[in-house]
This record gives sequence, C-alpha cells and structure tokens, in this order.
Amino acid sequence: MSTTTSPPDTELHGSASGGTGVDARLRTGEHPLSRVADSLSGLLVKLVLVAAFNALGIFMLVRMASLDAPWYGLVMTLVTTIALNVIYLGKRNLPLKYLIPGTLFLLVFQAWPFVYTFFIAFTNYSTGQILTQDQAIERIEQLSVTTLPDAPRFDAVPFADGDDLALLLSDQQGQEFLGVPDDGLVPLQELEVVRDADQVVEVEGYERLSLGAAQDRIDELTEMRVPIEAGEVQLVSLTTATLREQTRFYDPETDRLIDEATGTTYVASERGRFVSEDGTETLTPGWRVVVGWENFAEVFTNEAIRGPFGRVLVWTYAFAFLSTFLTFAVGLGIAITLNDARVKGRKFYRLAMIIPYALPTFMTALIWRGMMNRSFGVLNDMLGVAVPWLNDPNWARFSVVLVNLWFGFPYMFLICTAALQSIPDDVYEAASIDGAGGWQRFHGITLPLLLIATAPVLVATFAFNFNNFNVVYLLTGGNPPIVGAATPAGHTDILISYTYRIAFESGGGQNFGLGATVAILTFVLVAVMAVLSFRWIRPLEEINE
Amino acid sequence: MSDATRDPRPSAGAASMSAGAALADADTHRSAPPRPALQRAMRWFRQVGWRYLVVAVALFFALFPAVWVASAAFNPTGSIAGQQLIPDPVSTVNFDVLFATPFWRWFANSMIVAGVTAIGSTFLCALAAYVYSRMRFTGRRVSMLGLLILQMLPQFLAIIALYLLMISIARYFPTIGLNSLAGLIAIYLGGALGLNTWLMKGFFDTVPRDLDESAKVDGASHVQVFFTMVLPLAAPILAVVTLLSFIVAINDFIVQSVLLTDEQQFTLAVGLFRFIAEDYGARWGPFAAGALLAGAPIVVLFLFLQRYIASGLIQGAVKG
Repeated sequence: MSTTTSPPDTELHGSASGGTGVDARLRTGEHPLSRVADSLSGLLVKLVLVAAFNALGIFMLVRMASLDAPWYGLVMTLVTTIALNVIYLGKRNLPLKYLIPGTLFLLVFQAWPFVYTFFIAFTNYSTGQILTQDQAIERIEQLSVTTLPDAPRFDAVPFADGDDLALLLSDQQGQEFLGVPDDGLVPLQELEVVRDADQVVEVEGYERLSLGAAQDRIDELTEMRVPIEAGEVQLVSLTTATLREQTRFYDPETDRLIDEATGTTYVASERGRFVSEDGTETLTPGWRVVVGWENFAEVFTNEAIRGPFGRVLVWTYAFAFLSTFLTFAVGLGIAITLNDARVKGRKFYRLAMIIPYALPTFMTALIWRGMMNRSFGVLNDMLGVAVPWLNDPNWARFSVVLVNLWFGFPYMFLICTAALQSIPDDVYEAASIDGAGGWQRFHGITLPLLLIATAPVLVATFAFNFNNFNVVYLLTGGNPPIVGAATPAGHTDILISYTYRIAFESGGGQNFGLGATVAILTFVLVAVMAVLSFRWIRPLEEINE
Repeated sequence: MSDATRDPRPSAGAASMSAGAALADADTHRSAPPRPALQRAMRWFRQVGWRYLVVAVALFFALFPAVWVASAAFNPTGSIAGQQLIPDPVSTVNFDVLFATPFWRWFANSMIVAGVTAIGSTFLCALAAYVYSRMRFTGRRVSMLGLLILQMLPQFLAIIALYLLMISIARYFPTIGLNSLAGLIAIYLGGALGLNTWLMKGFFDTVPRDLDESAKVDGASHVQVFFTMVLPLAAPILAVVTLLSFIVAINDFIVQSVLLTDEQQFTLAVGLFRFIAEDYGARWGPFAAGALLAGAPIVVLFLFLQRYIASGLIQGAVKG
C-alpha cells in the first residue's frame, strides 16, 4: 500500500519540518522548543505502545508454545507481531498505521470466522466428533486405564508434606517405594528415611499421616495417581493401592487401536471413529473428519432436512419483505399524517414514538411473548378471545410480523419524516397549479422522491430483517415445530435461527457441520442480495471522488 | 381488564372526539341544511382532525407494551395471569424477587460490554475514517467497498465458528476466551469497521481540509491533526456512532447467549432470558421489574440524544 498524495510523516521530525513552521510559531508567539517537546512525547508514547504490544506478542508466543499450540497459531502470532513493528516503526505506510487496529480485529473476529465456517461445513464436526484424531486417541487411551482382575496390589501408607501427598508402597515381594504423583516410584533405599521403632515416619520431608489425618484428606488421596511404567498406582482404601493399566494402545503405523486386555483391534473409520474389526463395537469419542459435500447433499436430498429448509428459506424472504414493506408503509403513513403544521404537539409525538425503537429488543420481544400468551396473555384477555398467537403456524407468522412492525415502524417514521421535510414546497405548489389532487401529488411526487431518498435504508432494513434473530428466536423460538423435521425447525424459523438451533440445540447434541452448511448457504444468498442492491446504495457514488 | 382498552389519547384528541360526534350528528340530520359551525368542524376534521386519530392509534400501539410492563412490574401478583393495568395495591414484591438473582451484576456486565464496545469501536472507526477521508492510496477503493460488503454479512452468521474460535482461545488465554466479557468485546470490535466507517468518513469530509493544512504548516503531525482538530470537530458524528454501537451491543442476544456460560458473566440479555424462560408464568412480574430497570436508562439516553440519532439514522444506520 503506497501513499500517493499523503502528507509527509512528520511525527518523528516535527521540529525539523522547515522554516515556515518556525515563522508561524514566531508569529503566534509559541516557543519553538515546545514543538520539540511535543514530538518527543509523541515518540515516547509511540515507543511505549510498540513495546507494549511486543511484550504482549512475546507473552502470547511463550504461553502458546508452553501449552502445545498448533504451529500455525504460533506462526500467525509471530508474523502479526513483526508486521506491527515494521508498520509502526517505519516511516512509510501511513494509511496502514490508522487502518491496522480495526482491521486486526476484523480479520480475527469476522473474516477468519467466515473462512472457518466454510471449513466446518465440509466436516462432520458435531457432538462426539469434536476433537482432532490425536486428541481422540489420547482420550481413548486415558479412558482405557483400568484395574485388571489380576492387577498387583500394594500395601500403602499415606504421607504428606504440607499440601503435597505421597504414598509409601510395598509390593508383594516386600520391596518398599515412595510414590509421588509427579515423580513416580522411587525405591526407599535411595531416599533419606527416618524410622521410629521400625516404622517409617518421614521420607524426604514427607511425614506419615495418621489414620485420622488421612481420613480428612480422603478425596485428595483417592484422586491421586502415581504414574509408573506399566500404568498408574491408585489407592483403593487407606491401606491398599492397586495398579491400573492402560489397556488400549494406538499403533501409528497401521492406524489401529489395540485392546491388549481383550485382544480386539479397532480400525480408524472414514467417519472418524475407531470400529472393531468385526464392526460391532465403536469407541468414543470420535474425531472430526472432512466429509466433503456430504452436508450439502443432506440439505438438498434428505427429505427430512430439505423440506424444513425449503420452508424456512421461503419464510425468511417473506418475513424480510413483509417486515420491510409494512414498517415502511406504516411509518410513511404516520409521517405524512403528522407532516402538517396545523397539527399541534408534533415534537411530543415524535419523541413518544421513538420509545419502541429505544427499548432493547431482547426485552420487548420477551414482553410481547408474555402478552401473546394464549391462556394468560393480556391480548386475549383484553379482546376477550382465545387466539393462539404463538401456537398456530399461521398465527405465529402473523405475530412475528406484527411484533416486528412494532419494532420497526418508529424507525421508518423518523426516516420518512426527515425525507418528507427535505422535499421542497415549491414542487407541490407547481403541482397544485397544474391541478394535481392529493393522491396525484402523493403518487406522482412524494412517493418517487421518497423512494429515491430512502432506497439505501430500505435495502439495509431488508438485509437486517433477513437475519433478524432476536425477534424470531425470542418471540416464538422458531416454533411451532415443523412435523417430521430431522433437526429442530419451526414454522417461524428464519435461516439464522434455524442455523443456531441446528448448531446448538439439536436433539442428539450439537451439529456444527450441518449448521455451518446452512450458514454458508445464507452467506451466498446475502452476498447475492448485496451485489444486486449495490447500485441503490448512495455512498458508492462518493467513492471515486 | 377493560381498563386497558381505555384510549390514552392525548388531550388534543378530545377535539377530534367532539368532531366525530358532530359527524355522527350530521348523518342523522342529512336532510336539514348544514349549519356553518358544523361545516367548519367537518372541514377541520377532514383536513386536520383525522390526523389526531391516526396519531392516537399509533401512540397506543407504540406505547401499550411499555405501559403494560411498567404496570406489571408493580403488580402484587408476580404471575402472568390476572394482571390489572392499575396495580392494586402497588407492590414492590417483584423487585425483591428480581434482586435475589444477580440482576445488578448482569446490568453492570451489559454496561461494561456495551460501553467499552461503543468507545472502542468509535475510536477504531474514526482512525479508519480519517485515512479514508484525508489520504489517497492504493487499495483505498477496494477496501472501502469491502467494508460495505462485510456490513451486509453480519458477524453472527459465523456464530458457530466464533464459538469454536473462542473455545480454542480459551485453551491458551482464558481471560479473553469463552465465557469472558473481554472476549465478547473483542468480537464486537471485530465488527467495528463497516457502514459506520462510511458514515464517519462522510462527516470528516465536511471538515475543511484547509484546517489540517494550516495546522501542518504550523508543524503539527498527522497524529496531532487527528486528535486535536478532526476529532473535536467531528463530535456529533462520534456521538451518533458511539450511541449506535452501544445499542447494538446491548441488543445482541445470539453471540452473548452462545459465549457466556456462567451466571456471573451473564449480560442482561442472557440473564433475563434464562430467568424468564425457566418459568414464564410465575416470573413475569420480576421480569417486568427487570425490564423496567434496564429499559428506563436507555430510553432516557435516547430521548436526550434523539436529535443526533435521527440524523445518524437518516444516513443509513440500522439498529442491530
């Protein structure tokens, strides 16, 4: 990114920027030295900031490395830190210095999630398939640690050094060891031991716990594991311990998992599970694998998904269109009504009308939900009817649109009021001289001018309602449910609430793969809309200035 | 319940009532020649009076839920059934129930998240708008168009990826990962650049460039021009963008509900939703009390800044 007409970067050499500056300062009586001080303090601030984010970068790298972060995470952090140094310490790239802060957040928390969604859509990422294969193997191996029927037993005595616990263990051959959670078993002969009448009372600073003291720490003691070569030693009572062994082992060469206790071999399947060779047993957890277009194929071919998806898709467009159209119509109607100087108290009405807009939607949606309750809600109560506002598919759709009209009409009212006031009066005067009536004036002058002025707002409102999660999810939760749907889906669900419910509320757990697929399809629809509507968006014209 | 149907028509509406009565009167005496007073009233109604009727209906529609919630908050029965518009007797029992939850904690969390997000994103936005307004460079056009496209794709469409991203961040940096307010703020700052940048750039364009030029002649650096000249002159647009970002953050439900898992970390949106979703019928009153306490400051803020908001809205900002 090279600057073509940018001003020189003067922050490092502000005091040396030329004679005109000195003249100007002399004229204004400002002491030349104060400029030097200014630029010095500016430099200082800059250096402190650069040092701060370098410290942050180094901290992040160390922390990630110590926790075995994947290599690409480390590389990204390193590259980012270096790039920031180059940009901010260099004298070029002035626009970048201003753009980087926002862009950095944008890349990490908006651009990357979009890219990552694409990736997820091609996997079977879901409950039971969350981990990577390495993590799943590690987990399966951990879970396979168990006490075998013929496991060796130890006589055990608990010891403690403050918070740290240890076990004095003697095996069946009479050999004695000290078992420490971090260090494993150490033969007692090699350690410093204090005995009292043949009883070991202290080893390497660990003191023997009385039975009562051990009883007090029973939870800690039973959770303690002493790792040894064959597995781990765990207390089974306050005086005995037993060996627990890992029974399942992964063989990286054949990509198989072998259970040494039963002799079963498990093969890694393409679905991300270890399955026994006879196909009867599947181990959990599994891991996520790339399944290609499978999720997309599901959406388009599985009737239990395609049916609800189609309904949701159609309803999303209908909801966005109805919401935009009705809020505009009602808002415009009220704006025209009030756009008459003879009406008194117009300021007050405008102020009052802003209240639905000002109240947080998460709250008002829940309030409407209460008011529309079939048995107890105030609407049925007041009207003396029993309308199933939220329980019947058609009524629920009506209710969602009605509530969204309530949310949206004040906004359109404000917009239309402003737009109406910007239409010059002489246009109307000319029209009435030509003999145009009220309807003709509206149809021929007001509406076209208004549509031009509000087109970008209408497009933005449509796009906003297309993904208006709050109203749908908080009012109806997407319900009433569509019968026969394979995933949670309802008659008032729009694409975004449908996505959310597949991903986080599926009956069998979370289904991220399928959810991401629906999200991708939504991206595409919105992107098409964005491109089509670009010509209406006014700011575009300013870009070439 | 019939109380609720009473029309809260403003006093000016009374005139239209009498006009309506006069109209009905006119119908019954069609044969008689119209009296001049009646004629005047009819003309007034046709031209002006009906407007009050429309306003009355609109105000009723707009304000009824708010009035209803305010009344529910003070109703002695906390249940959703058997509510009256005028609470009898006025009771604060709902508030006691509400305060048994971490309501103020949620309130503080919401204010922290929305406040920091609002100030942070306004600043990030202003930085970008400044270069877009004052400098010409390769990639300017492309990146500005890119921002417009991004604006159409709301961040929460990628909610699944955001959730998984925050889980992996939590593995290394729990303070900004899943279930942290800082993580939530970071996500919102990711959406800072967008239409608001355009809005601000448009305003910066109206700040005369001669001002910066003369400041530069005086030896001011671009940083000084930005902080001491452009920002103060652009205060109105900064107020609009700050307020709108604040509202967007307060209103968001989807990201907060996925990200925040611990009751102490909940915001108002998640906390109040979980609170009432557990038992809609019985917790209606306490919920209304919470809604009143949470909504009132925001409404007041809006009414104070109404003029600024209207100007921002007209330029295409949409509440999220």
